Amino acid sequence: MSDLGALALRFALPVALLGIVAGAFAGVKRRDDWTQVAERAIWIVGLFVAIAMVSLAVAFANCDFELRYVANNSSRDMALPYRLAAVWGGQAGSLLLWLFIMMIYACACVAFQGRHNRTLMPWVTVVLLANATFFLVLLTFVTEPFEKLPPSHVLSDGTGLNPLLQHPVMLIHPIMLYLGLVGFVIPFAFAFAALVTGELGSQWFRVTRRWTLIPWLFLSVGIVLGGRWAYEVLGWGGYWAWDPVENASFMPWLPATAYLHSVMIQEKRGMLRTWNLLLIGLTYTVCLFGTFLTRSGIVQSVHAFAQTPVFQTVFLSYVLLTLFIFVAALVMRRGKLKSPNRIESMLSREASFLLNNWVFIAILLAIMCGTLFPVFTEALTDQRIAVGPSFFNLIIPPLALFLLFLTGIGPLIAWRRASRTMLRRQFTAPVAMGLVVGIGSWLWVRERLGSIDIGEVYGLLTWGLSAFVITTIFQEYWRAIRARVRKGDENPFQALGTLLRKHQQRYGGYVVHLGVVCAMIGFAGSILNQERLENVKPGSEIELAEYRLRYLTADALPAQHFGGAKVRLALYRNDAPVAVMTPEKRMYWLQDQPASIPSIYSTLTEDFYVILTALERDGSATLKLYYNPLVNWIWIGIVVFVVGTAIVMWPHPSTVSHPDAT
Amino acid sequence: MSKGTQIAVGASVIALLLGWILVTNSGGTVSFAYFQDLSSFQASAVDQIGRATRVHGYVVKGSIERDLQAMQVEFRVQNDPPHAGAPVGQTLKVSYGSLDTPDLFKDGAEVVLEGVLLSAGPDGVYHADKVMAKCPSKFEAADTTKAASL
Repeated sequence: MSDLGALALRFALPVALLGIVAGAFAGVKRRDDWTQVAERAIWIVGLFVAIAMVSLAVAFANCDFELRYVANNSSRDMALPYRLAAVWGGQAGSLLLWLFIMMIYACACVAFQGRHNRTLMPWVTVVLLANATFFLVLLTFVTEPFEKLPPSHVLSDGTGLNPLLQHPVMLIHPIMLYLGLVGFVIPFAFAFAALVTGELGSQWFRVTRRWTLIPWLFLSVGIVLGGRWAYEVLGWGGYWAWDPVENASFMPWLPATAYLHSVMIQEKRGMLRTWNLLLIGLTYTVCLFGTFLTRSGIVQSVHAFAQTPVFQTVFLSYVLLTLFIFVAALVMRRGKLKSPNRIESMLSREASFLLNNWVFIAILLAIMCGTLFPVFTEALTDQRIAVGPSFFNLIIPPLALFLLFLTGIGPLIAWRRASRTMLRRQFTAPVAMGLVVGIGSWLWVRERLGSIDIGEVYGLLTWGLSAFVITTIFQEYWRAIRARVRKGDENPFQALGTLLRKHQQRYGGYVVHLGVVCAMIGFAGSILNQERLENVKPGSEIELAEYRLRYLTADALPAQHFGGAKVRLALYRNDAPVAVMTPEKRMYWLQDQPASIPSIYSTLTEDFYVILTALERDGSATLKLYYNPLVNWIWIGIVVFVVGTAIVMWPHPSTVSHPDAT
Repeated sequence: MSKGTQIAVGASVIALLLGWILVTNSGGTVSFAYFQDLSSFQASAVDQIGRATRVHGYVVKGSIERDLQAMQVEFRVQNDPPHAGAPVGQTLKVSYGSLDTPDLFKDGAEVVLEGVLLSAGPDGVYHADKVMAKCPSKFEAADTTKAASL
């Protein structure tokens, strides 16, 4: 079965190369028959890659330890779901997963867009197959997933998957993230095809907007799931540490989000054409660059795989080449990209969207500089100097707050130029609400903490601005529903339905904003975090905030592929018993690796989080307690965000046909 | 409004924000140097007394003592990874003022210490504010290099 996989990858490579030639020929000569050849090449490469993916999964399911990759990432004692998750637990498998997902996107693109975009399609296929070729070359010549161990090296059991990755979230988080990162290849391909053909009208970005929303949604979910995994598994009480790999997943989200906003300006006013193309190019190259960073080991990270010079050189050349070709195409077409319109006033929606774009890019640059800082300093001074989370926590919050502010402003001010009476009508209630909540939480936090420093000011501003934005959103809904109800025979619920159907982009967008605001409220909760480390004997108690924790007993874990101990703790909130918590200290025998599994009691207002740091020799337990307010709102936020994006993307009969119309 | 003005307005908003950050945080420590190895650290130990440093080493086997009353952990570090039979060499005594040790912290673990050397010489004590431990078994590390060179 594994031979079949290796064979499939070998066959896919020449087919992809032939497809590129066919696509380029079709593009130059405008020969539709050759476009169809290239499209078929995509289907065939997709089929071969799927065969390779399945056969690797089967090798993992059957514990085929003849394969070096399987032996290094799996073991017999792991349950089947985790053996399957181990398929992408290492370098080669994660690259194959990348390619597999790209081919799913490519096939879907041919199936759904092929009919409408005959002029763009040849170059779209060329871009897709060129990217596939790169990964096929990597998988056949540099890191082979199907490489066999010499017979004398084959063992009866593998070395297992890193225990930290043996968690349910790890079954879906990498797939979500890859569905996000890889999916940006489709908008990239369309943008490039538009540049090559010079068909820079509304066609490419109408297609692209939809195909950007899909990976953008997956990426957002993937990023948050990663945070959730860190929170539940890594056991340091937090969900985000500005680790290079976290940054790598977050960086492409920024230009993609910027694009989704600025493309609206192009739609309404025909402006920012070059800028939008640039954002698409940037998004995809940042995806590749992030993958390069974390997969090449050039920046130290908990997630990084090993350094291999061949891999580094090949991958970096690929990233730079992609960027170079795209920018070159952009420069060649610059004459065709001039916009007839200009921004008329800083008090206009265009201006606020432009500012929004600037801030997104500023955040991107800040994160990129921070992540690459060790690389720069090593090149200049021979010493690697890193910046810690404090750097990011300094730079990012003010920029994010400004974005939050724009989230409230942008949708409410008019295109072109806003009038003073309009501003008063739109902003009186939201500003009042923001001030009330901001000042209220300032008084409350001051009483709780005694004093307020800059980090806490950020938190208070977040809550004030959140109240402001939420009020604007509800005001928009309220006014629109009221207008419809007054006008005719719709009841409020019907009116709401009509809004979500007929103006899905606008009213779905508000729901997305609401989700982001929820998450921001949750992030800001960290200003009230408390933690405490204590060593306690059985029967004694620790207090933290309004909670009291009593150490009951310590028990051995039933022996399996890990052993260890768990402690039972009774949790009281304001003296009422609320939960029994059982943090664990595990030892994974095979890898000789310990792991602390935290226990979390979670409510809408706060999380109470306990880690068993050590079970001491005298039977006492050293416990680390965290009191983390509002964390749940981050997870609630992403659910709201998904609902909002679904409203925006929902294919209503009236809108589905519009790609044909243009 | 011309393109130049737009850019100027955008740039000045961001410059103002960044400037404000710098003003409010001058004197803050946001960056840190990577670690020194224990042997090079000890070679210049006298100069490093009282300065914030990062030191890399390995936990000497059997040296970890957890003091539950004082809520601290004491241990020694050595420069080279401990192998059976290999000499331990010069060690450094470390006092860590917390019981909050990472999961991977154990006999023989590779550690990076962040803290201050209080006194040099054989009785010198390194006062660690932070102890970071690395996973000793990087099985993929050795493996992919091999695969790449084949």
